[in-house]
Amino acid sequence: MKGRYDEENLKWIAPLIILVIVLPFLLRGATFSYRYYLYVLNIAGIYTILTVGLDLLSGYTGLISLGHAGFLAIGAYTSAVLVDQAGVPFGLSLIVSPLITGLFGILVGFPALRISGMYLGLTTMGFGFIVRRLIIALRTWTEGSAGLEVSKPVLFGFTFANDWHNYFLIYLFVIVVVVFARRVMKSKIGRALMAIRDSEHAAQAVGINLVRYKLFAFFLSAVLAGLAGVLFAHTMRFISTDHFDILLSIYFLIMVLVGGVATIYGAVLGTLFIVLLDFLAIPLFKDWLASFMAVQVADIQSLIFGCIMFLFIIFQPMGLYGMWLKMRIYWKLFPFNPKIKQT
Amino acid sequence: MTDMLGGLAQEVVSGIALGCIYALIALGFTLIYKATEVVNFAQGELMMVGAYVNFFIVTALLDIPMLDGALGFLLAFAGAVAFAFLFGTFLDLIINRPLKDEPVFSVIMATISMAIILRAVMALIAGPMTRLPLSPFGSGVIKVGGLFISVHDLFIISSAIVLVCGFYYFFNRTKWGIAMKATSEDPMAASLVGIPVKKVYRNVWIFSMVVATIGGVLLAPRTLLDTNMGFLGLKAFPAAVLGGFGSVPGAIVGGVIMGVIETVSMGTLSFYFPWVKEINDIVVWIVLIAVLMIRPAGILGREEIERV
Repeated sequence: MKGRYDEENLKWIAPLIILVIVLPFLLRGATFSYRYYLYVLNIAGIYTILTVGLDLLSGYTGLISLGHAGFLAIGAYTSAVLVDQAGVPFGLSLIVSPLITGLFGILVGFPALRISGMYLGLTTMGFGFIVRRLIIALRTWTEGSAGLEVSKPVLFGFTFANDWHNYFLIYLFVIVVVVFARRVMKSKIGRALMAIRDSEHAAQAVGINLVRYKLFAFFLSAVLAGLAGVLFAHTMRFISTDHFDILLSIYFLIMVLVGGVATIYGAVLGTLFIVLLDFLAIPLFKDWLASFMAVQVADIQSLIFGCIMFLFIIFQPMGLYGMWLKMRIYWKLFPFNPKIKQT
Repeated sequence: MTDMLGGLAQEVVSGIALGCIYALIALGFTLIYKATEVVNFAQGELMMVGAYVNFFIVTALLDIPMLDGALGFLLAFAGAVAFAFLFGTFLDLIINRPLKDEPVFSVIMATISMAIILRAVMALIAGPMTRLPLSPFGSGVIKVGGLFISVHDLFIISSAIVLVCGFYYFFNRTKWGIAMKATSEDPMAASLVGIPVKKVYRNVWIFSMVVATIGGVLLAPRTLLDTNMGFLGLKAFPAAVLGGFGSVPGAIVGGVIMGVIETVSMGTLSFYFPWVKEINDIVVWIVLIAVLMIRPAGILGREEIERV
């Protein structure tokens, strides 16, 4: 059933898709260093695919995962090994590797049937650690901690040679994933997952199969993370265990939170915000600061990052998407705004 | 054979010392979790801050001839604890107060960003160098029946035991401790029966900062003092969970089990599986996940029974 707010959201989709398509051309017209901006946007796009999946799992279903960098790593390494060492075509790997990652997701999901809350967060964190160690241990295929070079993506005979090509490949998937996730979450499955988050007992009482839906949430989330991993491996063209740090898993959760929990658009906004902040805004700012303070640049970078995160959580706990909703309501009611009292 | 057993025993002893370090950090996690259900991811960083404050005061006092020995250390320790009081109050004011009606998830994220901030600020103040504070207990080693243990480790073990016993008594026998437990059950009901909930929260943050400072001061001579010391918090976190999050004796049980598993597996398994680097990390996590599968609330944790 379509509600009024659904239609309002749909109104924005066409202009946004056009913006996504036009943006690289605008950037090329406007700046010399557009290749770097495209590179940053590509990273944001890859992370977006993952954080949308994380939002499905942690935001909608309430199963906190601190191990999503592990799924990203599995997707990336599986695809790298399949394509470069087993000779599987990239197109096939694009389907198979996420599915393999999804199987790992189910494996991690089994503890989730008994464990909840922070205990689950910790179990998934342990999973992230184990994946990193295993990648180092299986160095016959993965080259250990030295890192692995990966081939360019080739699809239907077309080679995606640079960031310009990769941009369209990645954002095609971003759009598909976002639309797909929105639809899934409005379907019976999505409502079942939200019911599980709100009360497991009540969900079970109305006949939701907890085992099946929880495992499905883990599977779906891991598939999306695996997809992000495949794209990461083949567009960055170099992967090593340093790319899949435990801190990255925490940053993914921060991205979801900054964007707004349990709103797919929030995950997109949050990821864009954090990645752009990390790669574009902070470097500008830190050079300016370092010009009159003799300190380590990396420290300033993490200081600013931490402060922005902190202020955001204190003052805007509903996230960027919540901010946008508030603004929209404000404009709609414009001259007759009721004074909203913050409680 | 006796040689191997002796080596194993030595590893168990050093594992217990390492475990007590984890226990000290885990205790800080437990305190905050017990009263507010918040997992404080900045616990390791709080420890680092406490250790640095102590170190700065000790070095400042070195120039005064009277105060370059044990007395100076005691003064510095008192100063660090006083700082911990102030800083704990400050943390409560900026993290806990503004977020008291938000979901626990947001508060956890706030502590994570606080961890990032503290690490960066400390790096800016102290510089990138690693410091080596001297142990106030000297560098003596005691030999007991073929086993070696340093005096400093003995102090770590004993202070962990004292703190755990102290807090166990506090939470089960004293008025304030029971008030804290009541607050964690249900803040609304607690305030209805006259418990000053805000004060309880503030005290919890102060306690946990003080425990972190004590831990940091004891750890610094053993692990070297730099801004990455806080990452120990991430290793103490599984220890706290293994023992049962929110259980005071669980902190030391989990800590010691983790420490022993870590040193023993490093000593034995890495011998047989040289191709897996740092196999102890994997073993620790596998044990943890296995234990959680059997007892989802940790070894000593109580499973929460919800009323629907």
